[in-house]
Amino acid sequence: MAKYEKILLANMEQPGYTGSLADYERAGGYQALKKILGKVQPNEVTETVKKSGLRGRGGAGFPTGVKWGFLPKDYRGPIYLCCNADESEPGTFKDRQLMERDPHQMIEGCLIACYAIRAETCYVYIRGEYTLATTILEKALTEARRAGYVGQNVLGSGVNIEVWMHRGAGAYICGEETALLESLEGKRGLPRFKPPFPAVVGLYQKPTVVNNVETLANLPHIINKGPEWFASIGSPPKSTGTRIFCLSGHVKQPGNYEVPMGITLRELIFEHGGGMRSQKPLKAIIPGGASAPFLTPDHLDVKLDFEAVAQAGSMLGSGGVTVMEEGTSMVWAATRLMEFFYHESCGKCSPCREGSAWLVQTMRRILAKRGRADDLDTLTDLCKNIAGRTVCAFGDAEVAPIMSTLQYWRHEYEELIEQAEAANLVQIEMAGAKQ
Amino acid sequence: MHEVTTETINLTIDGIAVTVPKGTLVIEAARRVGVMIPHFCYHPKLTPDANCRMCLVEIEKMPRLQTSCSTPVSEGMVVRTATSVVNESHKSVLEFILANHPLDCPVCDQGGRCDLQDYSHEYTPTTSRFIEIKRIFKKEYFSPLIETQMNRCVQCLRCVRYCDQVMDVNALAPSGRGTMTEIKHFGDHELDCEFCGGCVQICPVGAITSRLSMYEFRPWMLKRADTICTYCGDGCQITIQAKENELIEVNSAHGAGRNTGDLCARGFFGYQMSTHPHRLTSPMIRRHGELVAVPWEEALEYLAEACVKLKLAHGAQAFAGLASSRCTNEDLYLFQKFMRLAIGSNKIDSSARYGHINAVRALRRVQGTHRWAATFEDIVRAGALLLVGTNITETNPITGLKVKEAIKKHGATLVTVESLEPAVGKLSNIANLSTHHFSAFPGTYPDVVLGLIKAVIEGGHLNADLAARAPAYVQALRDRVGALTWSAIESSTGASESALKEAAQAFAQAPTAVIILGQGVLRTPGAEGVTTNLLDLLILTGHHGRSGCGIAPLAEENNDQGAIEMGVAAEFLPGPYDITDAAARERLAGVWKDEVPPSSGLTLMDMVDEARLGKLKGMFVMGENPVASLPASTGVTEALQRLDLLVCQELFLTETAKLAHVVLPASSYAEKDGTFTNSEGHVQQVRRAIDPVGDSRPDWEILSALSSLMGYPLEYGDAREIFKEIRSTIPGYRLMGPAPQPPRPDGQVVDRYLQEGYAKDLATRYRLSSSPSVGSDHLTLRLVQTLFHSGKLSTYAKGLLAVQDKGCLAMNPADADQREIAAGQMVIVRNGQGEFRTQATILERVPRGLVCFPEHFAAEVRPLLSAVVDPVTRSPYFLSTEVQVAKLD
Repeated sequence: MAKYEKILLANMEQPGYTGSLADYERAGGYQALKKILGKVQPNEVTETVKKSGLRGRGGAGFPTGVKWGFLPKDYRGPIYLCCNADESEPGTFKDRQLMERDPHQMIEGCLIACYAIRAETCYVYIRGEYTLATTILEKALTEARRAGYVGQNVLGSGVNIEVWMHRGAGAYICGEETALLESLEGKRGLPRFKPPFPAVVGLYQKPTVVNNVETLANLPHIINKGPEWFASIGSPPKSTGTRIFCLSGHVKQPGNYEVPMGITLRELIFEHGGGMRSQKPLKAIIPGGASAPFLTPDHLDVKLDFEAVAQAGSMLGSGGVTVMEEGTSMVWAATRLMEFFYHESCGKCSPCREGSAWLVQTMRRILAKRGRADDLDTLTDLCKNIAGRTVCAFGDAEVAPIMSTLQYWRHEYEELIEQAEAANLVQIEMAGAKQ
Repeated sequence: MHEVTTETINLTIDGIAVTVPKGTLVIEAARRVGVMIPHFCYHPKLTPDANCRMCLVEIEKMPRLQTSCSTPVSEGMVVRTATSVVNESHKSVLEFILANHPLDCPVCDQGGRCDLQDYSHEYTPTTSRFIEIKRIFKKEYFSPLIETQMNRCVQCLRCVRYCDQVMDVNALAPSGRGTMTEIKHFGDHELDCEFCGGCVQICPVGAITSRLSMYEFRPWMLKRADTICTYCGDGCQITIQAKENELIEVNSAHGAGRNTGDLCARGFFGYQMSTHPHRLTSPMIRRHGELVAVPWEEALEYLAEACVKLKLAHGAQAFAGLASSRCTNEDLYLFQKFMRLAIGSNKIDSSARYGHINAVRALRRVQGTHRWAATFEDIVRAGALLLVGTNITETNPITGLKVKEAIKKHGATLVTVESLEPAVGKLSNIANLSTHHFSAFPGTYPDVVLGLIKAVIEGGHLNADLAARAPAYVQALRDRVGALTWSAIESSTGASESALKEAAQAFAQAPTAVIILGQGVLRTPGAEGVTTNLLDLLILTGHHGRSGCGIAPLAEENNDQGAIEMGVAAEFLPGPYDITDAAARERLAGVWKDEVPPSSGLTLMDMVDEARLGKLKGMFVMGENPVASLPASTGVTEALQRLDLLVCQELFLTETAKLAHVVLPASSYAEKDGTFTNSEGHVQQVRRAIDPVGDSRPDWEILSALSSLMGYPLEYGDAREIFKEIRSTIPGYRLMGPAPQPPRPDGQVVDRYLQEGYAKDLATRYRLSSSPSVGSDHLTLRLVQTLFHSGKLSTYAKGLLAVQDKGCLAMNPADADQREIAAGQMVIVRNGQGEFRTQATILERVPRGLVCFPEHFAAEVRPLLSAVVDPVTRSPYFLSTEVQVAKLD
């Protein structure tokens, strides 16, 4: 079955692999750290990562090395690394597996990143609900500390790197990097406006890099096998490496699939996922988590890389691929997602705060066959007025389900509204008959 | 440290070219060219939050619309604020904000001055597309003074940010998420904070309003008068708003006055004392032992006759006058002129005697000024601040805000010497912001100051030029501090050598430094000497005389400074000039066309003594209440009872007025014109907001009328005429600009001080205070000023009484535990002289061994106190005493 070489899931798929330090070391773990500590200049590590073409796996897909490069030069003072483990995007569950099954891989990634950006402190901001992952990571950190990988004077190199865990308290918005920083500082998790970017003014007003778990987990492999190797995988030049796609929905075999970037949606769903769960044909696909606009069966041959998916009108996002079969109500699906966004809107910006409440109520009304003819225009207007007018990308994300379902399945909305109007008409006629 | 930049940026806003300093925000740059960008969450006092999204503008080369409140200008930037896209965004943001807004303008107090209302009229259609269910918050009783209506809230968080960034109180916080975000306070009780009213003032809509004026007005019904607050010496500009002679509300426009629009509870909620039902409305004469109301003519004629008779019988020296420094400069000036000329006595004094005069005397002695050589701006920009004996948040809250701004915005070093423990509480605590805090016991502050001087001299932080300029002075001080051992200082103050050295270093090395001192120094023995020592500290570190540096004594009453400058003091003529200053007498005689009496002055405590001995026969008391202020053991009541004629000009029938033979109703600050001089030395205009209550008249008018009847007419048409005379008599009253020009220390006076002036009392000044040894079950009771009151005047203000209507004994949790006292329990406080019962409140910021009681409610405490009279300045000190505290079963 191993059609492609796996990078991130390779260790954990070995029989008997427990994710312990001993297992990880046996599988070649911490060699990358040893290779660079005190031997390779931090900026050279950054250059290596730039060369590899590694892009952020959290959602935005920003080139990792470039992000590191934004840190102020010749700055003396604390720099922080935050590992974003607040995986909360609906339909996304890759980081959880990475943390639960191979915690040291991520830790080594954190250490490499810290070394590269000269950070002495790394905070792992982990989703509060991930209790198992937290326990496993805490244990792994203890092992790593005992083995001298983490703490003062790492492996005798004179470099200090502390790694601390911090559990979130259940807010989706805290996965947004600046809200994460606020939350980490003990404040209400609300996004900060940018600029200044965290690289300049981040945690505790100090330069800070925030990277996703999967992003960081890639680092040991890039160091070990070289940037050229990494850059040759996937869909170079812009989408290199593999991606763990979290396949869910109406497919036979949902789960995490690590494949090179650039395979098609069709291959992912029908070869890796085993195809649709029943005889019903495929109707809709969310290619990159709940924030990504829906795609249709027409897009099955879109390549799963950053550019191609964007060109198709959606985004690769967090890698959460949700598949829906024929018979699924798209208005219902969009309403369900809207309810999530309404629940999670932090309330900072007026358009998102008020808009999400407005949108969700209108969607529920349409779904309950109480829609009105002008609702669709209002929905479209509201979505346009939210997108691009908020501090963080949440505003853009929350309108994606409605905008894309209105684009591809507008008739489903119209049918519900027609039914509502017909029902109204009946009621009016009945009221007239009574008189 | 804040960097002052001179770099400028050129940009274009709506086609208008504008040049602004680097770092300016687009919204501010637009304001400069008259382009007003609508906004809710932006406020110049606060860091941008960019949450309302109302101020979006188009900026060339930027992909999306940008929030002008958070975008700094850059060279060549092209901003458009009135394109169709921008207008569309304004409309859409308003549509969102209005979606959940209740549109209850008809019952909203903000109606008529509401940003949301104004923008709605400007940008949105009159009907809404929102047909869903509106969000509704459960109505909460928020507090007795502040009303919230969260359904109206636009979640701009200005209140929350103000409470944190400006006030450092952090009483408010958003709670809930998304549309369910509402502003709450912490805990399940009603709001318990500093009640500065900042949230009411800064709310752009009607979500937070004042309960004192609820449903009583529309903005266009109100008559406004910009005037000055009558409580502490900060001299805040307030706008009193009245409707048909009824005081409706007070606020302060953003940026207005020395307070730049910030107020404290007293300023914002304390205005209703002027219209308290107990105000005296008619003159009264004592007949058959009773005070009976009479018409003005009768009262004044009776009084004039009595004065003339008494003067004939006993001479002018049998008269004395005592004035409150809450009066206007015009009142005070005329008071001393009346006493000196119409009566012929120099025996006058004011409430500045209680403390502020000590500072002025020291300033005159060392630097030849009677005012600060620094300004509020210098405090804000100071590199280091040294606060001695001032719980500034409670006594002078707005100067406190300047200190907070210096620290929070500009990173100043703060050294504090005050008996406060750093602790989080309902009020902000300056000790929490302090970088070097010495929680010394009251009475040992002077020893900490000596410790700092020792640390400066012995730590090598002496100013290099000084040693050459005044070697004898430096050597003398070096010898003196050399004689003090670190261990003696530590055992007295608890301050260690290393802590003092660190603080001294930080203070000495800062580019600029301001020393702020308060009642903890000024109202304790040796006050003048300690102030002089603090000036020594400035001189030794080279800060003295440097621009942006100086010593800033805080005035307790709003016009303490003015009272002294008007010459309402035993030792001063208007100026102030020494009463013995022949040249000053001559100048004054030229203006007055009459000679100043040759006799010497008399201070407050000596007046009490002379009255007791029967040497004084008549006394004029203008707004002062010595019976309630001085300890019972001074015998002030008995002394005043011996007078043949006691005249009180008062707002209320005070304890002193109850003893008077003639009581004349005076007008409060809200009913008259005039000027106040704040502790910074800034002369500011007081304007009449309402007509005088009842038959009351301004003090100066009473004195003027009386003088005519006595055959020595001091006639003035209005307060301004008196001010004109003040201007021609007293330096420092010629300019009344928006910002004060502080005097520079007089080089000759400083030189004289450094050559010889320092020496005369060096031995007394450079001696550690002998700390009395007390039994372990004893506590030191200290009368303190609280944030919610000022003197006794504020105890007539309804709003302030709603927050604090009685005194409670504040004590440290450990002291309370030791006595098994729980918060709110009744306790008995006693010493050899008396006892009183009160409620205990437990506060972590009160240090162990100390219990505090507010001076404003201290009638029952007076028997326990004794006054120590300063041998030099004759100030009575009576704030502390030793007591035992026990739970009342």
